[in-house]
Amino acid sequence: MTEDVIAARTRALAGALAEAGFARLRVRDGETEIELRRAPRAPAAAAGAPAAVPEAVVEKPPQRPADLVASEVVGIVRLLRPAVAEGQDLDGDRELAYVETLGIRNAVHSRGGGRISAVFVHEGQPVEYGQPLFAIER
Amino acid sequence: MFKKVLIANRGEIALRINRACHELGVATVAIFSDADRASLHVRHADEAFCVGPGPVMRSYLNIPNIISAALISGCDAIHPGYGFLAENARFAEIAADHGLTFIGPKPAVINAMGDKATAKRLMREAGVPTTPGSDIVANVDEARTVCAKIGYPVLLKATAGGGGKGMRSVTAPEELPTAFATAQAEAEASFKDGRMYVEKLITNPRHVEVQVLADEHGEVVHLGERDCSVQKPSHQKLIEEAPAPALDPAVRDRLHDVATTATRAVGYTNAGTLEFLVAGDDVYFMEMNTRIQVEHPVTELIYGVDLVKEQIRIAAGEHLGFTQDDLHPHGHSIEVRVNAEDPNNNFAPAAGTLTTVVFPGGPGIRVDTHVYGGAVVPPFYDSMLAKIIAVGRTRESAILRMERALSETRIEGVKTTVDFCSEVLGEPEFRAGGIGVGWLPAFLSRRAAAV
Repeated sequence: MTEDVIAARTRALAGALAEAGFARLRVRDGETEIELRRAPRAPAAAAGAPAAVPEAVVEKPPQRPADLVASEVVGIVRLLRPAVAEGQDLDGDRELAYVETLGIRNAVHSRGGGRISAVFVHEGQPVEYGQPLFAIER
Repeated sequence: MFKKVLIANRGEIALRINRACHELGVATVAIFSDADRASLHVRHADEAFCVGPGPVMRSYLNIPNIISAALISGCDAIHPGYGFLAENARFAEIAADHGLTFIGPKPAVINAMGDKATAKRLMREAGVPTTPGSDIVANVDEARTVCAKIGYPVLLKATAGGGGKGMRSVTAPEELPTAFATAQAEAEASFKDGRMYVEKLITNPRHVEVQVLADEHGEVVHLGERDCSVQKPSHQKLIEEAPAPALDPAVRDRLHDVATTATRAVGYTNAGTLEFLVAGDDVYFMEMNTRIQVEHPVTELIYGVDLVKEQIRIAAGEHLGFTQDDLHPHGHSIEVRVNAEDPNNNFAPAAGTLTTVVFPGGPGIRVDTHVYGGAVVPPFYDSMLAKIIAVGRTRESAILRMERALSETRIEGVKTTVDFCSEVLGEPEFRAGGIGVGWLPAFLSRRAAAV
């Protein structure tokens, strides 16, 4: 796909995402994959925190086009040592952590290089599906 | 008693379980998919975990993520609700392997009752009347021999079947080879299990089911029967009531006796339902559902027993604490399922935003629902939005109360079954009581022809 086709398709998907209220949308077409996510809610808001009113959750617009690395599973975060810090540069793809689910390690990769702009989780933190773990500026 | 229960479900039943837990002083953990983030069951639970995206295979059927959520939140039990993993013996085993109590019967019983041919054989051995038919037939020739013996019309059924898949009715011998081949292929494709059996087809029977409770110390009681004969052409129930109207008292007593005998015979524990076909004075066991059912509130309202609380208490090893002699039904109860469906278009499911939601209230009305004004109905799940349940001293007073309740109900944004159910309640044949499962499909045909 050419760049402007991708850009046009991304715009269309962003509209669909906002309209549907989904947290995430991924479209694969041949070798091209477009993934859009809404801005994260507060990390670990799931456990214990009072629930927001549903309207606020659904209508919250994306705040910034951050490239978020989110958990694909429910489990416990194990940060790989040396743990990455905010502001740190990554040369290329790197395994940053794994999420442990029923004794199985689910690797979390940076999916390429960039600068770590946020680390949302700490060692041993329970995380849910879709919960942002890291933000990376490409 | 448990300290914290994970509710492995969504929708109204997740809220129903949440309420039972909170009334027992038990903390709750909800699970939800991306599409259900704003659902009421997420708000009412003490904690909540997103377990996957909208499609059920990756969220509400995602066993590793669900068990993991239970473990990291410190739960000691899981309530599966109905549908999804409720009758999945493997899930119950995995939960037990991780030290979590599955709120339901033991995995071996779930397995035995989930396999229809096995369930029928066990029931027959326990002295329960079953429809004339066969065990597994190896091929079409064996099926032909059985059919000749029991007489046409017959039903070919897949032992792993459900939802009408792998099922064919056959009215004459020459239809058998094609019907057998297509039903078996369908069963193989849907359930990876092409084993078939044959049953006599009972024409226009009533669907009457008996609710049972069994604790882990040998106490077994029944909580009477429910009539669920108002079924869509897809065999999904639409209106249910308790007790069954216009039922011979001798038939009623026999159903209750047979249900408790069978429950004991298979070593059943927790809440369960035995479904029967009733044709005149004949009753035939159909299947046993090893879970709480959608229509459980009609039983609750006439017996004054909270079935979901009883499920939790039984799973925690408590004694029932009452016997059959303590149970006496009062009055009549009726439930209407409010589905996001178009009754004028083969009940096609609808998704979208509910712009207006007003539920009824007042004396004798209960509403179990997970929706509210502004809620989004996702396309991934069952179309049921709410259950409206009415109770009255008599069947007529319960129906009048339901008609009043439906007239108060306003749901806009998607098409629903509300007005259609009002129409059904007004039909003289329904009003008289005792209709069979063929009544609603026939009513739909008459109604379509009249337009």
